[in-house]
Amino acid sequence: MPEAASGTLAVAVEARMEGGIYALNRFLMTLQGKRMPVRDLTVGMGPGESVVVALFECEPETARRYMALLSSLEDVREVREAGEVLEVALAATGEGWREAAVRAGVVAHKDGGTVVASGGPGAVEGWLRMLGDGVEDAIRLGPVARPGRGR
Amino acid sequence: MGKVENIAYKVEYKPRTGSEAMCEALLDEGVEYLFGYPGGAIMPFYDALPDYPLRHVLVRHEQAAAHAADGYARATGRVGVCVATSGPGATNLVTGLATAQMDSVPVVAITGQVGRGAMGKDSFQETNVMGMTLPFTKHSFLVEDPEELYETMRRAFAIARSGRPGPVLVDVPKDVQFAECGGDGYRALREAPPPVSSPALEAAALLLKKARRPIIVAGHGVILSGAERELIALAERTGAPVVTTLLGISAIPQDHPLYIGWPGMHGQASVNRAIDRSDLLFAVGMRFDDRITGDPSRFAPNARVVHIDIDPSELGKVIKPAVGIAADARAALRGVLRHIGRPQDNCAAWRAEIAESQRPERERAERARPEYGPIRIMDAIKAAAGEEVRLVTDVGQHQMWAAQFFRFTKRNSHITSGGLGTMGFALPAAMGVKLGCPEDPVWVVAGDGGFQMNLQELATIRDLGLDIKVAVLNNGYLGMVRQWQQFFHNRRYSETPITGPDYEHLARAYGIAGRTVRPGDDVEEAVRWAQRTPGCVVLDFHIDPEANVYPMIPSGMSVAEMIEEDA
Repeated sequence: MPEAASGTLAVAVEARMEGGIYALNRFLMTLQGKRMPVRDLTVGMGPGESVVVALFECEPETARRYMALLSSLEDVREVREAGEVLEVALAATGEGWREAAVRAGVVAHKDGGTVVASGGPGAVEGWLRMLGDGVEDAIRLGPVARPGRGR
Repeated sequence: MGKVENIAYKVEYKPRTGSEAMCEALLDEGVEYLFGYPGGAIMPFYDALPDYPLRHVLVRHEQAAAHAADGYARATGRVGVCVATSGPGATNLVTGLATAQMDSVPVVAITGQVGRGAMGKDSFQETNVMGMTLPFTKHSFLVEDPEELYETMRRAFAIARSGRPGPVLVDVPKDVQFAECGGDGYRALREAPPPVSSPALEAAALLLKKARRPIIVAGHGVILSGAERELIALAERTGAPVVTTLLGISAIPQDHPLYIGWPGMHGQASVNRAIDRSDLLFAVGMRFDDRITGDPSRFAPNARVVHIDIDPSELGKVIKPAVGIAADARAALRGVLRHIGRPQDNCAAWRAEIAESQRPERERAERARPEYGPIRIMDAIKAAAGEEVRLVTDVGQHQMWAAQFFRFTKRNSHITSGGLGTMGFALPAAMGVKLGCPEDPVWVVAGDGGFQMNLQELATIRDLGLDIKVAVLNNGYLGMVRQWQQFFHNRRYSETPITGPDYEHLARAYGIAGRTVRPGDDVEEAVRWAQRTPGCVVLDFHIDPEANVYPMIPSGMSVAEMIEEDA
């Protein structure tokens, strides 16, 4: 289970539903009404099916309880753990970032003067640690859930 | 929930209007009564209604329609139905639907909506009722295609009564009610109950058999699933004492030797202390509401927990169970009973300990019994109305006194708004209870605050000739709030003194018998008079303005902070 930068666990949940905007409205209101710890949300709505990928910042057991609750919504066809949770770091750093990325298991490339690295939250954390004092500045985004087949 | 038995009615699926399809769906669901109030956007439905053998009760406010449908559903186990027009009619239903949602009561609400062409344009009496009710309905529909109307109506009933029951809203634009629509097209929803895991049942049974200080906690789910016999069998097979939640009251007769009371904010001190000392809580059909647990981290600190509930999302929500079983209460209890085997009572010492701790409470109640006040009023109602009485309470101090002192011996005889705590619930809900169970005596116990919130329904009750007796416990205060002000706000009675009409005369103005009862009057005679007087009767009991409900565990606290006596 990936660990978010804040130290809590992150669980990505993907829900598929029919019922268009009404179903989405109910789904989002349930997230809000039950105070689910949503860190990140991706919504895709199509003519026949909508897909929501939510990243819960909580223990897996709590996330499973939320999944049970969301599954019981009438329009929801399926709720499952989405699997991959990503964190993205934008870092201004010197040399050595590429080798560190390979060792930490993150994907990284340089765009202008900024290194963009993405991977599991623990991996990105590890990559930044390896760079140590070489990091001049860093911005961390996420963790976020990688959208499934959401449109 | 009980099965809906369809009444025989020949339906020919010829071309029909949307309104006719709605009526046919109601008949096909076996609906007996609708509680509603007409208006512009629901007029086509009301135009079709007289052609069908459906009985409509014209309430005097839409909130009352929702509560009446709720009361009917709670008393009968069938789906209650309420109807309102768009805009203010629909918004007035909201409190009733939220009440039903919090207490898992199956209600179908039908609302008219402005025509499809007028929607989204701030038209006269247009509200987004579907959006508005999303957070507190189990599901809701806006029917924009007349061809889907019949099927949607049937689905609404299936959803309302399946699994964890709840309210479902069907919003129907006016032009859809007028439109011609075709075939039936209904796909029956056959929701299989969730399979019960045998190892989990075995584990639950094992924990119960091994426990030396167990307590069975029965909630509303026991009544909803009709699991009362299984509950009693489990208690008798193991010797485990039984407590109920507020909504679980009457899941087991209160004169059963294994029943010890109910816990929580205003539950018996001895029961709260027993839970504090127990080594196993066997919780069935309940959700560890904060009024039960207080501070969850200090609730039942020595107990392992078996939690059975039909809603899997309730398991672990507040209290982490050692064994969690997502299942219908009756199916689960039957499964546990199979694993319990032959009777085995390990709890005699535990029961004796509890009985000893309850002795001072019993003695205190016995001493208070002859005094003019809530206990004597409850005793008098029970004595006059008999074993079959159903008591419908409002929300506040009187609700707690009724729960504490009325002796509920009939199954499902305690009807109240538990989760939402809706003042104004009792009188309209009692209409549904009485219509659903016409043979049973029905009494309302309300405070003078809550009674004034829906007393317009006295007109409905009078029109229908319903034999509902009303006891108003009139202390001239919003009593429970006043009590909190006394305890926690240094007796600053901010906006809690409340006046009201002379209820005896008010009743007469509605063509209903009424009487005022004051300290020193003969309570028993007044109640007997009410009971033998045909039709509705209002008794206005003037009680001590500053009487308190004891014990009380302050909100968010634990049994250690329980307040038991007047300071």
